[in-house]
Amino acid sequence: MQSSASLTISDLWIERGERDLCKGLSFSVQPGEVVRILGENGAGKSSLLKIIAGVLSPLEGKILYSGEDVTLDRTSLQQDAIYLGHSVGVKGLLTVAENLRWYCPDISISILYSVLTQLDLIDLVDVLVKKLSAGQARRVALARLWLTKKTLWLLDEPFASLDVGGVALLEERIQQHVLLGGLVILTTHQDLMSITPHDVVLLS
Amino acid sequence: MTYSSFFVSEFLVLWRRKQDVFNALLFFIIVVALFPIGINSSPDFLAPAAAGIVWCAAVLAILMAVESIFKEDYLDGSLEQLVVSGLSLPLLILLKVAAQWLVVVLPLLVIIPLLSEMLYLPSSGFWVLIMTLIVGTPSLFFIGVIGAALTVSIKQGAMLVMLLILPFYLPVIIFSTLAVKATQSGLPYSGLLAMLLAMSLLSLVISPFMTAIVVKASVN
Repeated sequence: MQSSASLTISDLWIERGERDLCKGLSFSVQPGEVVRILGENGAGKSSLLKIIAGVLSPLEGKILYSGEDVTLDRTSLQQDAIYLGHSVGVKGLLTVAENLRWYCPDISISILYSVLTQLDLIDLVDVLVKKLSAGQARRVALARLWLTKKTLWLLDEPFASLDVGGVALLEERIQQHVLLGGLVILTTHQDLMSITPHDVVLLS
Repeated sequence: MTYSSFFVSEFLVLWRRKQDVFNALLFFIIVVALFPIGINSSPDFLAPAAAGIVWCAAVLAILMAVESIFKEDYLDGSLEQLVVSGLSLPLLILLKVAAQWLVVVLPLLVIIPLLSEMLYLPSSGFWVLIMTLIVGTPSLFFIGVIGAALTVSIKQGAMLVMLLILPFYLPVIIFSTLAVKATQSGLPYSGLLAMLLAMSLLSLVISPFMTAIVVKASVN
């Protein structure tokens, strides 16, 4: 993990379906910082995360990652980032372990099992994900945050369909990550218990 | 995510969905079997028509398999994860198509000796038919994925995919059946095989890049 990573967004103009979501948006994320994106439904929170992750492209503006301009080619940012969107990206026809092996092929069995124990998924290792509940499937997707060493986390509504225990676990993990110099950008409508984020508000 | 872990998981998913592959194969056999029953079962009709029958059935079976290649990945969000993985998207698509091709075409090739016997295809024509299938079907997959990617976000996209890509399938069908017919009448066929190979190579070069662009446009 590079501890010197930083993300700078300058003068970003997001348009979705002929509608301006934000214009001239600028903010930066320093190592060890949690940024929470606030805004009403439809204000463009998810679009902003998708743009940073490289799913969408901005109309105008610049995205700098660790001082490098990644607006046109997001590869170097993507190799150092995890993006979790609304649909979590776990395959229903693979088991919990197979899904995680797909994302993190070099992880050892013991680490995998200890993470799954923490997340209460250890009894479900060999169960197909399509048979799990929404909250359990989300825990499988979130397990990647424990298993990979990426610096930048882009989490779109990470607390959705998690129970109280799950929320606490995830907040603890975010805090650990930030203490090690990681960068976290998240959207949520929930109050954060233990994290004090730096807020960016999208006005509609 | 690495290229190899992606490739392995693709095979795992295909293995878990083996009934879909089996359906396509069964469909292929049924279509081929209907011709002798429905039109004429005499060798005079079947022997010259055999290559055409096999190829039409193969095209339909492949269309069925290719049309939904991205559907599940789109719905569960793993297509989005491929886009943001930091790996080369065209290469990932190439691997996905390769896995799908192996899983659909190999069973087809295994069953063809039986079907060509049923259609009175002479043995010289049989080997050319096998060669046209090996050389020609990759281009069907590569052309098909572009259409599948274009319509992945549309609910009722199956018919649209067929309308979009069927015209591009015609040259492949024409050259393959011509090659088999040429052997049956003792003419050289290597030029026609070379054309098929050229089409497959051309689509191999173009399709992954075009599909990657289309996938990026479809996921948002």
